[in-house]
Amino acid sequence: MAIEPGDIRRILTPAAAPVTREAMRADIARMLHEDPEEIGGGDSLIDLGLDSMRAMNLVLKWSEGGLALDFAAFAETPTLDGWWALVEARQSAGA
Amino acid sequence: MAEPQAHPLTEAQSGLWYAQRLDPANPLFNTGQLIELTGPLDRTAFEAALAQAVAEADALSLRMIDAPGGPRQVIDPAQRPVLDVIDLSREIDPLAAAQVEIARDMAAPIDPTRDKLAAERLFVLGGERHIWQQRIHHLAIDGYGMILLTQRVAELYNARRRGTATGAPLPGLAAALAEDAAYQTSEKREKDSAYWRALFADAPDVASLAPGNPMSAPAFHRRAVEIDAPAFARLRAVAERTAIPWPDVVTALTAAYVGRHTGTSEVIVGVPFMARLGSAAARVPSMLMNVLPLRVDLTEGGDRNAYLGAVAKSLIRARRHGRYRSEQLRRDLRRVGGQRRLHGPLINLLPFDETPRFDGLSSRLDVLSTGPVEDITFTFRLHGTDGLRLEVDANPDLYAADAVAAHAARLAHFIAAASAAENLDDVPTATPEEAQRHLYDLNGTDHSVPDITLAALIEAQMRVTPHAPALRFAGETMDYATLEARSRALAARLPAGEGGIVAVALPRSFDLVVALVAVLRSGLAYLPLDLAQPEARLSRILASAKPRLVLVRAEDAHRFRGEVEVLSFCDWPVAPAEVALTGPAPDDAAYVIYTSGSTGEPKGVVIEHRAIVNRLEWMRAQYGFTQADRILQKTPATFDVSVWEFFLPLISGACLVVAPPEAHRDPLALARIIREEAITTAHFVPSMLAAFLAEPAVQGLRLARVFCSGEELPADLRDRFHRTLSAELHNLYGPTEAGVDVSYWPAGADDASRPVPIGFPVWNTRLYVLDEAGRPQPPDVPGHLFLGGVQLARGYLGRPDLTEERFLPDPFRSGERIYATGDLALWRPDGAVVFLGRSDHQVKIRGLRIELGEIEAAAMESGLVRQCALLAREDRGTTRLVAYVVAEPGADLSTLRAAMAVRLPDYMVPAAIVALDQVPVNANGKLDRTALPAPDFASSGSRLPATPTERMLAGLFAAELKLGSPVMAEDDFFALGGDSLSAVALLLRVRAAFGRDPGLGALFAQPTVEGFARLVEAEAPAEDLGLAPLITLVEGAPDLPPLFVIHPAGGISWCYGRLARTLSPRRTVYGLQAPALAPGVESPENLEALAAEYVARIRALRRQGPYHLLGWSVGGILAQAMAVRLAETSAEVGVVALLDSYPCDVWRGEPDPGEDGALRALLAIAGHDPDRLPALALNRPSVLAFLRASDSPLGQLPDAALDGVVRVVAGNNRLVRGHFHRRYHGPILHFRAALDHAGRDLSPAQWEPYAASVEVIEVPSLHAHLTGPAAVQAIAPALAKALEMAAANEEKPCVTAG
Repeated sequence: MAIEPGDIRRILTPAAAPVTREAMRADIARMLHEDPEEIGGGDSLIDLGLDSMRAMNLVLKWSEGGLALDFAAFAETPTLDGWWALVEARQSAGA
Repeated sequence: MAEPQAHPLTEAQSGLWYAQRLDPANPLFNTGQLIELTGPLDRTAFEAALAQAVAEADALSLRMIDAPGGPRQVIDPAQRPVLDVIDLSREIDPLAAAQVEIARDMAAPIDPTRDKLAAERLFVLGGERHIWQQRIHHLAIDGYGMILLTQRVAELYNARRRGTATGAPLPGLAAALAEDAAYQTSEKREKDSAYWRALFADAPDVASLAPGNPMSAPAFHRRAVEIDAPAFARLRAVAERTAIPWPDVVTALTAAYVGRHTGTSEVIVGVPFMARLGSAAARVPSMLMNVLPLRVDLTEGGDRNAYLGAVAKSLIRARRHGRYRSEQLRRDLRRVGGQRRLHGPLINLLPFDETPRFDGLSSRLDVLSTGPVEDITFTFRLHGTDGLRLEVDANPDLYAADAVAAHAARLAHFIAAASAAENLDDVPTATPEEAQRHLYDLNGTDHSVPDITLAALIEAQMRVTPHAPALRFAGETMDYATLEARSRALAARLPAGEGGIVAVALPRSFDLVVALVAVLRSGLAYLPLDLAQPEARLSRILASAKPRLVLVRAEDAHRFRGEVEVLSFCDWPVAPAEVALTGPAPDDAAYVIYTSGSTGEPKGVVIEHRAIVNRLEWMRAQYGFTQADRILQKTPATFDVSVWEFFLPLISGACLVVAPPEAHRDPLALARIIREEAITTAHFVPSMLAAFLAEPAVQGLRLARVFCSGEELPADLRDRFHRTLSAELHNLYGPTEAGVDVSYWPAGADDASRPVPIGFPVWNTRLYVLDEAGRPQPPDVPGHLFLGGVQLARGYLGRPDLTEERFLPDPFRSGERIYATGDLALWRPDGAVVFLGRSDHQVKIRGLRIELGEIEAAAMESGLVRQCALLAREDRGTTRLVAYVVAEPGADLSTLRAAMAVRLPDYMVPAAIVALDQVPVNANGKLDRTALPAPDFASSGSRLPATPTERMLAGLFAAELKLGSPVMAEDDFFALGGDSLSAVALLLRVRAAFGRDPGLGALFAQPTVEGFARLVEAEAPAEDLGLAPLITLVEGAPDLPPLFVIHPAGGISWCYGRLARTLSPRRTVYGLQAPALAPGVESPENLEALAAEYVARIRALRRQGPYHLLGWSVGGILAQAMAVRLAETSAEVGVVALLDSYPCDVWRGEPDPGEDGALRALLAIAGHDPDRLPALALNRPSVLAFLRASDSPLGQLPDAALDGVVRVVAGNNRLVRGHFHRRYHGPILHFRAALDHAGRDLSPAQWEPYAASVEVIEVPSLHAHLTGPAAVQAIAPALAKALEMAAANEEKPCVTAG
């Protein structure tokens, strides 16, 4: 089985700490210049001022540890709960 | 077979649709990419994956329908792309073959109403290499959609290979359509709209990196560069610190880069926005992308992070309202057409690696096209995890390939530098290579010149060639020995002493030259004075310069007495005293020339010997002057061009030929002297050169060389010069403050430069083009021109303050000075400098920088004018461009504006063109702007607008230009004060009034009411179809008053054609038709209004009666109402004939027939009896389909017109029911359909309350057949007889009066 360039990167990248819901909340809050407590699980992040570029940056950040996250799926449900569900599903699939 | 459901286009698609319709041959509406796949491709799996993905992405199967109610789209499985496998493995170079084929495919436009929108192709190159090319019309997809699709193919391929689940399918287009429809009517859209309108209420006009019209060409230039890795790392560190996403950091810095080029305090850039976050359509491969206009304030406080923060905030706000379409905003803001743009360059950030991953394969992505490139697009793509690539795509109509490459390199450098700078002020615009080349390499002009004075140079020459002719004047010659003796004699008489000035106030003569040489030899500086100048100005100069003495003719001496010591010519010593002259030193002043200051106070420029010697020695060497040359001296001594005219011959041993006083303004006298004196070298200010070339005696003159300076040399003048006479032409540039000229450009016959540059620096001289902050500008970017080097003046006499203001330390060479010229210039890529105008008199129209030279050139290129001067005049608060022209003999200037409009962007076309006999020039031969007359914007026509179109247009002209006085038929929109902006507004009004407009170009071509009215009428699509409001059914004898026939319910009057042709004698018959047949034109309020409109129409066509009227059905009701109105205005009414019409009263009680009734009427109009067609469903599509299938001419009409008919029928029903007749005090002739109306209470007698009398003629016909062949045989003779009788009645009064 051939090893892909992307796989090499994943192999070489030390496994980052798993992404947690609270870490995500903190990251989102920082992007929005808000306190983490302000970010409710079901709040529309768009209403809180999140834009696509910031959302994309967050998704990129969370995928840095090798998690294969699809921005398109994130775009459909821009809430902390929705995103956590996506991340959690991926993390458990990878585990 | 059921037709699949058709949907209107989304807002996002509509903009593209219309753009493509306007430019159907443009292939850039196709987006495309290729992916090179290397490795063992499982072709079966790939084909299956692709088939499934394109089936899911149903937008790829769209078929576009160009329907009259607007374009529609259906998902048609037959349009779905099928993978086309192309085997190139047997080609010699399979990769090259594939590239050629892909390039060909991407360059082919498609017709979205016919062709498949998408193509999927797999090129087999052999050796485990494949190229997968996708080409999808932008109507079906956007960049993000393409990524979704591509990733989905990879996902399906991998799942198939691994035998795992295939993941969630791509949602279909329905989600996107539903979302779009919901947004259309949402409160959110209202809010978004309000946000944008408020934000742009005070937005400036948009500037970009290149002038010109941003209309996508069919191809684009691309240059890609890599942002260097350390710079990208720094950018991300900045992003981390400021909590601004790095893509926004890059966007902000790129906007700052754009601002460096536009030189404006604000730029508006376009930022593509994917419009997917939080949307149900987030994952739909379709066209959702929007472009957000981003206002960026560049009043750089310098602090980089503060600036980034401000831009990031704007971006957040913009994205929050990002669903609102920019096309709609453009319409909201009336920024439609040409230069009225919403944004300049596009800045597109793609912060993710788009390359798909196929198991077992390596892939490389190449994005071929992302849609039209109107101006310039900066795309930043992330690749891998740390690579950032910048792609610059640009419209080749606006940018040369080299310029695109330069922007790529320069922007990459700018971003790298900005990533490391705390303050943006420290970031240069030009790359270090550009700065080195422009500041140092091009200015490497060091040349050794003897450190000697001008006096010494002249004395040396006088010793070498004592017997050679030095001067010629009025047929006499003075040799060098005589010049030496006389100048020495006078020099000895002058008061010696350091730093002294002697004024010289002499007309052109030997004495003038003797005086100048004498002053130089005495070690003093000469100050030329022009006796034609007002006393007050002379006094101010004398008070400022404090000359020791003034040299004058005896007859002028009185003008100076009391102010300064006078030495009259008669007192000059002739024989030289045997005293040695002390002579000047190289850093002594040689002359002082006063120039006009911006404040109006003249400033004395002090030039030292070293400076002028450099200038003269450079010129002598550069152009190879010898003793054989004969140089014409015609420039007034007060203008510094005269300095080389006087002294270049005297240091070269050549002959100085002095033109008689005033000859410099007389082309004929100059031509004569040039020919008779065998002049080899002459100087002209360009405006004078234009006048000179126009003189027939100049044809075929031969000189060695002609120099131009003092004004811009227009390229057309250069070309005309070479067509007219035989000589080298050189363009020189320099202010008095820098020793006459500092740059030169050979403007030979082979020079094709437009504009003509001022060229390269002379010896020991530097030219700098710097921005406001003193940074060197890159090539092609306007900046302020600064001069440095040995020729700079000492300063302004007695004005250290002014000197300090203009003469500054050279920032690039320590210890040296530079002079701020106040001129704008740019470096061409080849290093030649181009003069762009004055920075202080910069001409701006609506915020757009305007190069008057370009406009002048356009006027000259028309071949209609021989001279042209432009002025931006401020009048009633608006600045208008006015062109002053001298016409070529016999040229028709009325076509000039149209000719210029062909060459210029609309905002540069002058608002007024004023014809002059000659362009006024001042004492120095330069254009005298103050002597140009103000243009007259008053009406100049005399004919009242006659046709309805003319009258309507005259009203629109007056409304748009807010004119108080009436507009005449011959009046020119622009002569009335219109400019391109108001022209666009006028066209909007024209479109509203007529449902069409012939376009701005047509208005430029035909700016008069009558001319444009003809175009409006010719433009009428309705006329081609015979749907114009007034049509000619038959042309007849001109002496017979015409018959006007008024349409029945359907609004169309072709039905009278047979009747019109059958009438004998043949007379002209005009058909009136409902204006509401045209799309977008409402039916009038009531029938009276419609009748009034028709009366206006026929009266405009024919001012005199009698007016014969005939109408069938509703047309008869209208005819009666028109007759009432005509009679009210004392117009003569002839025959009023009704074909089986009955008064409104009888219809009012009946129920509104509604749409059914309208459709029935339509069938009746087409000659069918609706009651005999029981099987025909009475709805619009089936009736229209029936008419199409039948042989009725109505069936030939396009849908829009048929729709118009249905609308008119319905409207007429309403009008008839709401109308109350007034009495017409004349007779009515009624043709009754005698075979009809059984059982109905319809009688011609019902008209009796509304007419003086009703004469009834029974026609054996049904109502519906009254215009058919049988009925016409009965009606035509009776009608002809009635018309004849009316004429006889009319003649009676004449007979009795006679």
